[in-house]
Amino acid sequence: MFDFLLDPSFLASVPRFVTPLLLAGLGGAICERAGVFNIGLEGMMLTGAFAAVVGAYFAGSPYIGALAAALAGAAMGLVFAEFNLRRGGDSIVVSIAINLLAAGITAFLLRVIFKVTGTFNSPDIAGFAPIQLPLVKDVPVIGPILSGQSLLFYLSVLAVPVLHFFFARHRLGLRIRAAGENPAGLTAGGVNPNQVRLMALILCGALCGLAGAQLSIANVKLFVENMSAGRGWIAVVAVLLTRGRPWPLLFITVLFGMVDSLSFRVQGLGMPQQFTDMMPYLATLAVLTLLSWWYRKRQA
Amino acid sequence: MHAELHDIRVRFGPLLAVNGVSIDISAGKVLAVVGENGAGKSTLMNVLFGLITPEAGRIVVDGSDRHWSSPQHAIRAGLGMVHQHFMLQEQMTVLENIVLCGEPVHFLGIVDFKAARRKLAEGFRQHGIVIDLDAKVGSLSVGQKQVVEILKMLYRDASLLILDEPTAVLTPLEKDRLFGILRSFAASGKAVVIITHKLDEVMEIADHVAVMRGGRLVSSLPLKETSKERIAREIVGGELPPPLKPAARQPGEVVLGVTDLRIAGHGMDIGPVSFEVRAGEIVGIAGVSGNGQSELIQALTGLRRTSSGAISIAGKRVESLDVHERRQVGLSYIPEDRQRVGLALGATVAENANAGRNDPRSFARGWFLDRAAMARYARGLIERYRIKVHGPGALASTMSGGNKQKLVVGRELSRGTPLVIAENPTWGVDIGAIELIHAELMRMRDSGHAVLLISTELEEVLRLSDRILVMYSGSLSNPIPAAEADRNRLGTLMTSRSAEARSAA
Amino acid sequence: MSAPSRNWLSGDLLPWIVTLAWILAIFLALMILVKAPFGTAIQGFFDGAFGGRRFAYLMATLSRATLIVGMALSVMLSFRAGLFNIGGEGQLVAGGLVSALVALAMPGPPLLVLAVSILAGMVAGMAWALLAGVLYLYVGVPLLVGSLLLNFPIRYVASYLVAHPFRDVPSGMLQSNLMPDQTWLPYFPGTRLDIGILFIVATSIITIVYSYRTVHGYHARLNGLAPDFARAVGLPVARLTLQTLAMSGAIAGLVGAIAVFGIHHRYVDGMLVQPLYAWTGIIAVLLVGMIPWLVPFSGFFFAALQTGAAGMERAAQVPKEIALVMQAVIILFVASRVSVALMSPSRDKGSDGDV
Repeated sequence: MFDFLLDPSFLASVPRFVTPLLLAGLGGAICERAGVFNIGLEGMMLTGAFAAVVGAYFAGSPYIGALAAALAGAAMGLVFAEFNLRRGGDSIVVSIAINLLAAGITAFLLRVIFKVTGTFNSPDIAGFAPIQLPLVKDVPVIGPILSGQSLLFYLSVLAVPVLHFFFARHRLGLRIRAAGENPAGLTAGGVNPNQVRLMALILCGALCGLAGAQLSIANVKLFVENMSAGRGWIAVVAVLLTRGRPWPLLFITVLFGMVDSLSFRVQGLGMPQQFTDMMPYLATLAVLTLLSWWYRKRQA
Repeated sequence: MHAELHDIRVRFGPLLAVNGVSIDISAGKVLAVVGENGAGKSTLMNVLFGLITPEAGRIVVDGSDRHWSSPQHAIRAGLGMVHQHFMLQEQMTVLENIVLCGEPVHFLGIVDFKAARRKLAEGFRQHGIVIDLDAKVGSLSVGQKQVVEILKMLYRDASLLILDEPTAVLTPLEKDRLFGILRSFAASGKAVVIITHKLDEVMEIADHVAVMRGGRLVSSLPLKETSKERIAREIVGGELPPPLKPAARQPGEVVLGVTDLRIAGHGMDIGPVSFEVRAGEIVGIAGVSGNGQSELIQALTGLRRTSSGAISIAGKRVESLDVHERRQVGLSYIPEDRQRVGLALGATVAENANAGRNDPRSFARGWFLDRAAMARYARGLIERYRIKVHGPGALASTMSGGNKQKLVVGRELSRGTPLVIAENPTWGVDIGAIELIHAELMRMRDSGHAVLLISTELEEVLRLSDRILVMYSGSLSNPIPAAEADRNRLGTLMTSRSAEARSAA
Repeated sequence: MSAPSRNWLSGDLLPWIVTLAWILAIFLALMILVKAPFGTAIQGFFDGAFGGRRFAYLMATLSRATLIVGMALSVMLSFRAGLFNIGGEGQLVAGGLVSALVALAMPGPPLLVLAVSILAGMVAGMAWALLAGVLYLYVGVPLLVGSLLLNFPIRYVASYLVAHPFRDVPSGMLQSNLMPDQTWLPYFPGTRLDIGILFIVATSIITIVYSYRTVHGYHARLNGLAPDFARAVGLPVARLTLQTLAMSGAIAGLVGAIAVFGIHHRYVDGMLVQPLYAWTGIIAVLLVGMIPWLVPFSGFFFAALQTGAAGMERAAQVPKEIALVMQAVIILFVASRVSVALMSPSRDKGSDGDV
C-alpha cells in the first residue's frame, strides 16, 4: 500500500512542496539567529508570490519574476526593520501587521493592476520551466526527485550549505549569531546590533519572496489571494524547532513537504479534500508537540 | 600610550558620582584604581572608555584632546575595556569571539581565520598565554573567559587596557595567571588600569595606586610611596562602619530546617546541603555569585523542584508545597531582581503592594477588588518605609531603584512571617536605602523572626549575620559564628573547597 | 525626567500628529494611485459606514462591529494576561460550527434550543482554547504557534461537515441547512440589526469590570506584566492561564454563535474566516494598547473602516481592499508607539534610577 512512495509522479512532486518551506525557513533561520522574532514569514511569502506574477507577466521572464519577488520580500523586511528596530514596535505586533499588510496590498494591487478579484490567471505569466538534469534523470527513485525541478528548487537546496558556511565563516554571519546571542558583545565591540539585524531582515525577506515565487510561477502560473495558505506558519514552526540551523531545517522541511505532497496524493485516492488539506497542519502540530515534549523532558 | 583625565565631573541626577578627578595613565605601568562600591571608580573608567559623557573635564591621549561619543571611538584610538560582566558569545568558539567585530576578511566578507590564528600565535608566545582557540566559550571556566576577553583587546592591538574588577570571580590560581599576563602586557609597553577593591592584589601588581572615595580622588601615588595600611585608611576615610549588632542573644526554635537537600542545576548539581535558621537570628550565606545560591533560594521558595532532601518551615515539611502554600506556612522572600521578580513594573504601587498578601479579604470583597483598601495599605507602606513616590496610583516603574527595593522589602516584611529570605537585598541601591533595609532586617531578627540572608556582598553578610555559611561550587561550609568570621577566612572559603567545607556525604 | 514643558509641540502630542500625518499620507498616495475622485470617495466612505436609507449601512457597521468587538474582547483577556493566544479564529469557528450543529440536531422549544446551542458554542470555543493552553502548559508547545496552528484543523473540519454530512445540498453551496427560524436572533424593529449586539454589549461591560475590578483580573494582569513576579508572590499561574484561556475561548465561541443565529442563520463555509474577524479583533486590541474600556471603540472603528471602504467602492470604484491595507498601516504606526509602553514595560532595564 505504500507503493506510491516510490511512484515517480509522487517523488517528483515532493520538491515542489519542499522548496517554498525551505526558502522561507532559511529566511526565518537568519532572523532567528539574529535574535529577531519574525513570525511574518507568511506575509513576506505572499508578497513575493504576487510580485513574481507581476514581474513574470509584464517582463515575460520568470527570472525577472523571481527578482521582483526577492525585491518585494526584501522591501517587507525593510518595513519590518523600520517598525521593529527603529520605532521599537513589538516584533509579534509588527509580524501580525506585516501579514495583514501583505494580504491587503496583494488583494488591493490585484484589483488595481489586473482588475480582477480573487484569482489572476493568464497564459502570459512566464513560469519556470523544469530543468532536466542529464544522467541524473534516469536514476531510479532519486532521478524524478532531483531532475525536472524548477531553478528555485536547486537554489534552495544549494542555499543550505551556503547558509551553513555563512554562519560559520562569513563576517556578517558571525555578527548575526552574536546579535542573537549577546548583542551587548557587539555593542562593546563597536558594532550596532540593529544594523546587523537590518541586514538579516532584508536577507530573510528576499528568501521568503523567492519562496512565494516558487508558489506562483513555478508550481503553478497564477496568483490567488492568500495563496501562501499557512505555509509561512509551517516555516515558522520549522525554524523554531531547528533553532535556525540550516541542515536540520532541510531535514524537517523535507519531512513537512513530503506530508504535503502525500496529502495531494491521497486526495486522488478518494479521501475528502478537507482531510487531505488538513494533513500538513496536523503533521506540523504533531511534530511540534512531540519535539516540544522531548525538549522539555531533556531539560528536566 | 599616555592618557590623562583632567577635572572629570559626572552627575547622576542629584548625585555627583565623580567630582573633579584628574589622573595620569602611563605606558608600561599598571595603575590600580581602588575604592569602595559607589566610590566612582567604574564611572571614571567608563568616561575614559566613552561609555559616559562627562559633565565637565578633558580627556587627553598622547598630548591631544579627545572627545568620544561612543566606545567605538575609544576602541579605534587603541583603548580596550574588560567589563565586570563578560560580553562574550557562549555559543561561539574562542577564536570566533576574539575576531568578532574586528574580523580579518579576504574576499566577499569571508573571515580569514588562518590570519587570525597566525597573529594570535605571536601574542601567545610573547605573553605566555595558553588557550584552546577552538573550544566553545560556554564550556570554559570563568578564568578562561577572562583570558578570552583580554585576548580580544590584544587582538585589536589595544595599547591601553581597562579591567573592571577582573578578579572578582577568579580562583587564586586563575588570578596568578591573569596577573602574569598583565605584567607581560605592561612590560611590552601597554598601559594597564585595573579597578578593584582588593588590597592584596593592589600590593601585588600595581605600579601606581589611585584611591577614590565618594566621587573624589583621595590620593594618587606610586606603590613604593604608600602602604597597605595607608590605602585602607584612605578607602574608608577613617570612619568605621556603624555597629549594628547588639549583643548576641539566645536564638529560639528552628524556623527553617534544611536536611540533605539536593537540587539539579544547570551544569552543576547543588548539595547535599543541610543547615538551619532559628528564630531571632540572621544566618548569612556568603559566596561569589553563580555558586548555586540562586538555585538554593529557588528551591527554598518553591520556584524550583528539589531532587531529594527535606525542607521544613516552622516545623512543617514544605518541600512538596507550591510557592503560595509555603508563603501561607510562613515564608517571605525579597528577591535579588526587583525589576522582574520583585515587582511588576507596569502595575501601580498599590497593585504591587497587595500582591501575595495572605488574606484576600483584606483587599477584596468576594470576587471584587477593594481598590480603596488596596490604596490605603499601599499608603501605609509608603509612609512606614519612607518610599518616595507620587502615590499608590503611580506606576512602579516611575520609582528609583532604592524606592523600588524599599517597596519590595516593605511588602514582604509587613507580612510578618516567621521566616524571611533576603537575596542581595541592597544590590544597587543608594546608601539611605541600604541603611533602612539593614535596620529593618535587624528589627525583624530582634522581634523573633528568622532571617536567611544570601548576599554576594561580603560586607553585608559580615555586618548583619549572627552565623555565616559560605557557598562554593554547590556546597555549603560549616556555619561560622560571627565573632570568629573575618574577611580572610571567608575569602578563602569563597574561592576554594577547603577542609572547612562539608564533605559531600 | 526632564523639566515639565507644557508646550504642546514638544510634549506628547507632536509624535501623534506626525503618526497621523504618515497614515493620511499613505492613504492619499493609495487614493491617487487608483485615481479616485476624492470628494465622492470620502462621501461614499461616510455613507457606507454610517449612512444609508434608514441608516441601513450604519446597522451593517454595527452588525460587523458586534463580531469584531467580541473577538477583540476575547483577545484582550488573553493578551492582558500575557498569553499570546492568536488562535481566536479556530475558537470562533469551533463555536459557530458546534452551535449550528446542536441547533440542527436538537429537538425542543426554540428558545431552549437557542440557549443550549449558544452555550454549546461557548463550550466548544473554550475547549479549543484550552487545548492550546494544555499543549502550552504541560507539553511546552509555545502558545503563539500552538494556538495559531489549531486554527487550520478546525477550519477544515467545519468545511468538511458542511460540505458532506450536514450540507444543504439543494442550495448547491458549501453550507449547512438553515436553522429553524424561531431560533433566529430577532432584529431590532425596522432594521437588519439583530440583538446579538446586546450580548456583546453585555460581554464588554463584564470584561471591562472584570479587568479593572476583580481579583482574578488583577492577578491575571500581574501575570501578564511580570510572569516571574507572579510566580514569586505565589499566584496560581497555571490555573490563571487555563481559566483566562477558557474565558477567551468562550467569548470567541459566543461570537461564532451570534454570527450563526443573528446573521447567516446557518453555517456557511468560510463565513468566519474570510472576513478576518479574529485578526481584526487582534489589531483592535493592539491599536489601543490593551486598555479595556477603549477596546469596543477600537473594534467599532475597524468595522466602520471596512464598511466605509465598501461604500467607497460603490461610490467611487476604489477597491475595498484598501481597508485591509490601511488597517495594517495604522497598526504598524500606532502599535509601535503604544506597545513598547504597555506590552513589555519590564524590558527597559536601564531605568533603575540609582548608580
